[in-house]
Amino acid sequence: MNSDFSKPQRESAFGIIVMAAHTAFKIGKATFFFIVYAFIKMGPAYTTYALLGIGIIIVLCIIFSYLWYLKFTFFLDKEKQEFVVNKGILNRDQVIIQLDKIQQVNINQNLLQKMIGVYGLKIDTAGASGEEVSIKAIDEVSAYNLKEHLLKGKAAAIDQSDILIEKDALIEQIPFLKISSWTLFKVGLTSNYGQSLTVILVFFMYTVQEARHIMDIFELDKGYVKSTVLGLATLFSVAVIVVIFLMVLLFINLIRTFYKYFQLEVSHHKNSLLLSSGVIAKKNTLINPNKVQITKHSQNYFQKKLNLLNISLKQAHFGESKKGKEMQGNTLEIVGCDAIERDQLLKMILGQVPISGKTFAPDWRFLNLPIFFKLVLPVAIFLIVAFNVQEVKPYIGFAAAYFLIGIFMISISYRRHRIAVDQDFIIKTSGIWDISKEVIVPHKIQAITASQYPWHKSVDVGHLCLHTAAGQIRFKYGNYSEIKKLVNFWLYQLESGNEDWM
Amino acid sequence: MPTETFTNDAIDIDALPKYEEIPLRKPDTNYWKIICINLIITFLLIGVSAGLLIFFNEKIQPHAILISITYITIAIFSILLFYVSFKKRGYAIRTKDVIYKSGIIAESTTIVPLNRIQHIELNEGFFSRMFKLGSLQIFTAGGQTGHIHIAGIPIDEAKSIRDLLLNKLELVETPETEI
Repeated sequence: MNSDFSKPQRESAFGIIVMAAHTAFKIGKATFFFIVYAFIKMGPAYTTYALLGIGIIIVLCIIFSYLWYLKFTFFLDKEKQEFVVNKGILNRDQVIIQLDKIQQVNINQNLLQKMIGVYGLKIDTAGASGEEVSIKAIDEVSAYNLKEHLLKGKAAAIDQSDILIEKDALIEQIPFLKISSWTLFKVGLTSNYGQSLTVILVFFMYTVQEARHIMDIFELDKGYVKSTVLGLATLFSVAVIVVIFLMVLLFINLIRTFYKYFQLEVSHHKNSLLLSSGVIAKKNTLINPNKVQITKHSQNYFQKKLNLLNISLKQAHFGESKKGKEMQGNTLEIVGCDAIERDQLLKMILGQVPISGKTFAPDWRFLNLPIFFKLVLPVAIFLIVAFNVQEVKPYIGFAAAYFLIGIFMISISYRRHRIAVDQDFIIKTSGIWDISKEVIVPHKIQAITASQYPWHKSVDVGHLCLHTAAGQIRFKYGNYSEIKKLVNFWLYQLESGNEDWM
Repeated sequence: MPTETFTNDAIDIDALPKYEEIPLRKPDTNYWKIICINLIITFLLIGVSAGLLIFFNEKIQPHAILISITYITIAIFSILLFYVSFKKRGYAIRTKDVIYKSGIIAESTTIVPLNRIQHIELNEGFFSRMFKLGSLQIFTAGGQTGHIHIAGIPIDEAKSIRDLLLNKLELVETPETEI
C-alpha cells in the first residue's frame, strides 16, 4: 500500500493468479468447441492424454503470467507529467501516457479479483486503442490513490502533500443519483430493442453454425433434423411464433439492462464523476466532466409517460487517425433518470442546464431523398416483381402498408430534425421513436463543414456538419444563408477564445 | 469587481468576417496532369486485364463489344467527374483558420481553426515530385471527416504553409504550457 508512485513498481503479486486465469480463460474460450469435439471423438481411452494436455496449458499459463508479472512495472513521472508502463516478456514495450490525455480511469473487480481481494485498473486515453493500459491487480487504496493522481494531472504534481484517501471515505460518498431495480425494470421494458435484437440474431446464427458442426461430428441425418424443425414450425402458427419472439426479446432486454446497470449510482468525487454499477462485480468508472464531448439524452413515447430518460456521455474516441484506427465504445450510459436528475447531471457536466436558443428547422426538401430511396424505389421494384411473378401477387397489400408507415415515419423524423443555437450551447434534436437531444458546447467543435448541392443554390438550402472528437453533429437541408452565418459565428467563438476542448 | 473595465458588448453577427467571401487559391494546373496520369494508369491496368480475360475466355468473347463500350463510358465519365472536382477545389489560409473547398457533386467547405489542429503532414508522391507539387494534410481530433487534405500545391508554397501553421501551433500552445 502506498501513495507515492514515482518509483517503478510491480503490481500486486496476486496479479499472477489473475493473469493466469485470464489467459487460461481466453485460451479455453477460443478452443472450447475444439476441446469438446476432441473429447467426443477420441473416446475414453485418450482422456488421460487430453487432461494432461490441459494441465500443460495451465502450467504454461502460470509461467507466462509469472514472467509477465516480473516485467510489468509502472510509475508516475511527475516532472514530465507522464504515466509510464514497462511490459513485454520477450520484447520490451514502454507505454507512456501523458496525464492530460487521460480520459477516464476504470476501477473494477471481477469475480476472481473479488475473491482474492484486489482491483483491476484500466486507463482510457483519447489515443488509439492499442495504447490502453490495464493493471490487473492492485489493492483498493492504491487503486484510488493512483486514480486520483492520474486524473488530477498537473494540480497533483505541484501539491506534493499526497492525500491519502481512506477506504471509508470512498464508501461514504453519497450518490446524488441512484437507480432502483423498479426503474431498471421499466427501462428494460422500454429501451434498446435494437441492440437486444442483434444479440438474439448473433446468438441464433452462432447456434445454427455450431449445431451444423456437431451434426457433422455425430453424423446425424440432416434431412431428419430439418423435417423435425419444419414440423415444429408448422405446429405453431406464425402469430404464436411472433408472440414468443417478442417475449424472448423483452426478457433478454430486461436481463441485459439488469446485468449492465444493476444498482447504478452516480456520485460526485472530487473533480470527477464516479459511476458504479454491476451485479456480481461492481464496475466503477471515473470520468472528468471536462472531457465529455457530447452529452446526449433520449426518450421515447413510453419513457415520456413514465418520466424516464437515458443519458449518454460521449468522450473523444479518435486516435491518431493516421493509422486509420478508431476507438469505439467510449460512451458512458446512465439509464432511467428523471428530468430533475438529468438537469442535475447536465449542470455538473456543462456547468449549467443548457438553454434552447434560436431553433432552426429544415426545409421540406429534407423529405425528398428518403421518400424516394426508402419508399418509392423499393415499392416500385416490388410492384414490378409482383405483376410478373404470380406467387408474390397476393402480398401487394403489404407494399401499401409499408408505404404509409414509411411516409409517417419519415415525416416524424422531419418534424424532429432541429438544431437550437444559443451563445453557449448547440442542441441537436433528432429521432423517430427515440427522440434524442445532443448537447455540445461550441468550443468542443474541431472543424466545421458546410455543403450544398448545385441544384439547391437557387432555393438557398444546404447542410451543416460539426465535427467533434466524439462524432459528428449534422443538420441537413437548412437555410444556407443562416448556416453560413452560424458557421461564421462559431468560428468567431472558437478562434477568439482559447478554451481547451480536452 | 472591476466593473468599469469589464465589457461585454453584443456581437454583431453580420459584422463578423465571412468565410464564404474569402477568395480561394486553386490547385496548381500541373496537378490536373497528375490526376490524368493516375487515371490513365488505372484504366490501362483495368483495360489490360479485361483484354486478357476476353482473349483467353471464349465464353466472354461474344460480349467483347458491350464490355469495351462500358469501359470507355466509365473512363470518360470518371475523367469528367475528376475534372469537375478539380475545378471546384480551392483553399485559403486565414490568420486563424484553414478553409478548404471541394466536392464532386455537392460543394462542401471545411474550416479548421488553427487552435484545433493536431498535426500536419506534407506528402510528395512520385509523380507530384516530377511536377514539384506536394499535398498537405491537416489533422484534427474530429476524426476522418474532420481532416483536410489539400493536394496539388507547389512544393515551396506547401512548405511555407506548413512552417507557418507549425509556428502558429506553437504560439497557440506555449501559453498553455507556461501556466
